[in-house]
Parts: sequence; structure tokens; C-alpha cells
Amino acid sequence: MALLTVDRLTKRFEGALAVDEVGFSVGEGRCAALLGPNGAGKTTTIRMLTGLLAPTAGTIALEGMKPGQDRREWIGYLPQHPAFYGWMSGHEFLVCAARLCGLSKKEAAERSGELLERVGLGAAGKRRIAGYSGGMKQRLGLAQALIHRPKLLILDEPVSALDPIGRREVMTLLGELKSETTVLFSTHVLPDAEELCDDILVMAAGRLAAGGSLAGIRERNRQPVLSLETEGDARSRAWLAAWLKRLPDGFETASATSTGARLVVRDLEAARRTVLRELADENVRVTKLEVGYTTLEDLFLKAVGSA
Amino acid sequence: MSLSLKMKMKMKMSTGMQKWLVLFRKEWLEIVRSYRILWLPIAFAVLGASQPITSFFMPDILASAGNLPEGTVISIPAPTPPEALAGALSQFGAIGLLLVALSSMGAVSGERTSGTSAMILVKPVPFASFITAKWAALVLLASLSLAAGYGAAWYYTETLFGSVSWRDALPAVLLFALWMSFVGTLTLLFSALLRSAAAAAAAALATAAALSLSASSLPFEQSWNPGRLSALAAGRLVASAASPAGGQTAGDVWLTVAVTAIAMLAALFASARAVRRRPADA
Repeated sequence: MALLTVDRLTKRFEGALAVDEVGFSVGEGRCAALLGPNGAGKTTTIRMLTGLLAPTAGTIALEGMKPGQDRREWIGYLPQHPAFYGWMSGHEFLVCAARLCGLSKKEAAERSGELLERVGLGAAGKRRIAGYSGGMKQRLGLAQALIHRPKLLILDEPVSALDPIGRREVMTLLGELKSETTVLFSTHVLPDAEELCDDILVMAAGRLAAGGSLAGIRERNRQPVLSLETEGDARSRAWLAAWLKRLPDGFETASATSTGARLVVRDLEAARRTVLRELADENVRVTKLEVGYTTLEDLFLKAVGSA
Repeated sequence: MSLSLKMKMKMKMSTGMQKWLVLFRKEWLEIVRSYRILWLPIAFAVLGASQPITSFFMPDILASAGNLPEGTVISIPAPTPPEALAGALSQFGAIGLLLVALSSMGAVSGERTSGTSAMILVKPVPFASFITAKWAALVLLASLSLAAGYGAAWYYTETLFGSVSWRDALPAVLLFALWMSFVGTLTLLFSALLRSAAAAAAAALATAAALSLSASSLPFEQSWNPGRLSALAAGRLVASAASPAGGQTAGDVWLTVAVTAIAMLAALFASARAVRRRPADA
């Protein structure tokens, strides 16, 4: 069952179309990643979901919500750069956030203490937020997003501002959280999405370029790939450049550098024979020839590139 | 059935009240921790005290200035006690209003720029509560400051010039408090409408000055004009300080008060609307 359904969501900023008729749904209990390069419209989409930005057109619906109920009651949100009142302590901020979500005084204090421990800020809870590091603020941001046990947790680039250690910690936390609630998070880092998600939504230039379950997308877009690498001497480079221009039928360049290329092929057996013969005839100094299948990155580059 | 509905309504009311109180406490905590709770009342107290003190010592100050020709007779009529107190009010009307506007000019725009408004307004919080909690804290702080300043002015007036009846002094300060709250509300409104805090303070002060000027200089009756409030306040103390139109009836005063209150409500409504439309900067 879909918890969140977005239909033809559009946002226009002074003539420029930031989000263009985006539609998708996120199933209850699923973890979905909103992927896309910078400027694809991920943050704009998320801000419309959280109610911080009014859509130009389109609808956002949460399944099971009573008519007239405030969507914000069900959503926990961590912005890309969470901001806090520096003059408050971490614990005070969480209690304030909890009380604003309607928790009683006792519940708010309990839940705040519990969440501070969980995100590893137990000892820092009494200190003023002004003295927190970037990673600590990010973790406090996660705690405040979880404070009212939201049905839908929305995270905007939750790990991109963190160092490798902080990143690992937050990823582990998200791994735990996704079994407790529905999660939608945006990222431009593919391995992060692959590690955590059930579903992916690829955005490019304001449009939804691809979407579906990670396994399904992998299956549907699984194509054989021939990966070729040369020593990079002048002769091999010249051959590669020329050959890429006159690629035989059934070959398609996925990505290429001056010394090597990844080629999506239709018929693996035929392609292998063709390439081997070509390499032998032209006396190319090959260092690596690998046969495999397209990765999510290939799909991502294709989806983003064609948009 | 209807009983449970009533209970639900009551619960909804009480959580709404709870959220408002949490927001108000947050605003007040900021005022305390940023020491605005200290410097604004102190500044008002200094302003209020300096007015009667300087008018008391003015003849001595002039005499010791020493650049007057020999034999000059300095004769400055000593102000009456109510005049001295009214002088303090006019200080509050200029520098005091500036301080109030400066202390609240970033109330909304500052939170939008820093991103904290986004953190608060993604929670299920009514937008009107966000604004009215800010407003209540602002008015409370301004009133405390005015009380401190007026108290100081009153104390020195009593000591140096003589007593003023509280029957005159109290209505005067209440009218003035309304005028100051009105200017504070304008600052809040402009900080919700404009991106720049300095522009918000300037716009609020300019509006206040325009209203005040039109009340004192345009030749027709303007009972509706909130800009009349400071003159009305002074007029409670010194009859001649009232607006040039002359004798006011009580009805006039109440009309001004009512119009000001309605204008403040409208400004709060417009501010809440501005915050709903743009809860945060992109």
C-alpha cells in the first residue's frame, strides 16, 4: 500500500521550471531514495512534500490521513543544512520540538533523552548547540525529525556534508530506522542509495527520469557490458578514438575515457568475438577486457544524460 | 458520542494552547539569553532618568558653559512636573521606538535566513501561533522596558520637580504603551514581508513617523490615526501638548485606541499569512 502519493507535482520559480509534473508513490515501510545530480529538483520536491514550499500545481497525499488533518503531523524532516537556536541546549531543542508535536511534558523529556542517546549525543545534550560540530548538528537534526515517531521520515542529503566516520554512523542509523518507519531520502551518492534503499527515483532537470524498486530496475536495465582498458600508448589511443566513432551495430558507449571504454552490447557472444578480432588485428595493447552487466551507475548516467 | 467529541475538542484546544506556550517560552528564553531582557529596560531607564535630570540642571549647564557675554541673565522657566514627565515620553517616542524596532527587526526574516523557521514550521504548528508568540514576547519586553523608563522618569520628576498625579501619569503611559506596541507590531509585519532586517526596521519607523506627522500637521480631524497616540499620551499630562485640533472628547480617544487595536490585529493576520506563504528561504 502506498503511504505517500505524489501526482503531477510542479514548481515554477519566476519562469524557470524547477519541478515538472513529477509523480511517484512510496509504499508503507519502504525506503526510497531520490537520486539526481545537483540542481535536478530534489530539494525543491522535498520542500514541497514537507509543506515549506507551496507547489505551483499537483497534489501530495498521505494514505490514511483524515480530511483537514495537518500533513506535518506525520512527517519528520531533516533539511540539508539543519539550523538550530545556538542559545538552546540540544536537550532543550528536542523537548521544544517534541512539545510542538503535541507530546506531554513527561513524554517529551523521556523521548528527548532516549533519542539523544540513540544518536550518540547523550553527553552533549546539556551543552549549547552553538558549540556543536557539523556532524553533531546533523545527528541532532535526525533526532528532532524522529521525535514524534513520524510515519514518513524525509531526509535531504543526510550524509553529504559529513566526514567518512560521521557518514558511516548516520548510514548505520538509517539502516536501523528503515525497519521502523517509511523513509524517503535524497542523495547524489549512488552507493548510499544502493546500500539502503528498496526503491529509487531518479530525477534529472526537474523531471522523474526513472523510478521503481531497486531490484526491478536492476533487472529491467540489466544489459551486458564490455569493459575495455588499454595501456594508453599513442597507438592504442588513436585506435580507440577511431573505433568508438565507427562502432559496429549492437554496441553502444556507456562511458569512455582516452584509454578505455565501457560499452553496452546487445549480443555478448558476437560482441566478444568482434572485439577480440579487432584487438588482435590492430595490435592494441590491452590491459583489461572485462565482461559484466550494467550497474546502477550506468543507468543513472543514462537516465540523467538523456533528460 | 457528543461527550467524546467535546473531550476531543477540549484536547485539541489544550494542545493548541500548549504549542503556543512552548513557542512563547522559546521566544522569551531567547530574549533572556541574548540579554535583551537587560539592555532594553536599562536603555529606557537611562533615557527616562536623563530627561528630568538634564532639564533640572539646564540653567547650571548653560551658566557654566562660559561662552555667554558677561551679564547675560539666563531665565529658563522650570518645567512643571507633568511637563518633565511628558518630556521623557517624547524621548521614548524617538530613541525608544528606534530601540524597540532594532530589537525586533529580524524576528521573522532572521529565522528564515538562518533556517530555524524551517525547523519549527515543519512541525504541526499553526502559523498564527508562531507569529502571535513572537508578538506577545515583543510586546511584553517593550512594556517592561517602558515601565522601567517611565518609572525612572517619574522617580526623578518627583524628586526634582514635584509630584504628578497617577490619574494623569497612568493613562498617559498606557496610551504610549499602545503606540509602542503598534510600532513593534509594524516591525514584526515588515520582518515577515521583507527579506532584510534593516529594511523592516526602516519601513516600520517610516510608517510610524508618517502617521505621527500627518496627525500633527494635517489640518483635518484624524480620530482614526494611531499616530495621534503619542500626542494623546502627552496631552494627558500637559493639556497644551495635545494635538492642534484642541480639546479631545473621551470618545475620540477610544476611537483611536480601537482603530489601533484593529490595525494591530490586521497586521498580525497579514504576518501569519506571509509566514504561511513563505515559511523559509530557499
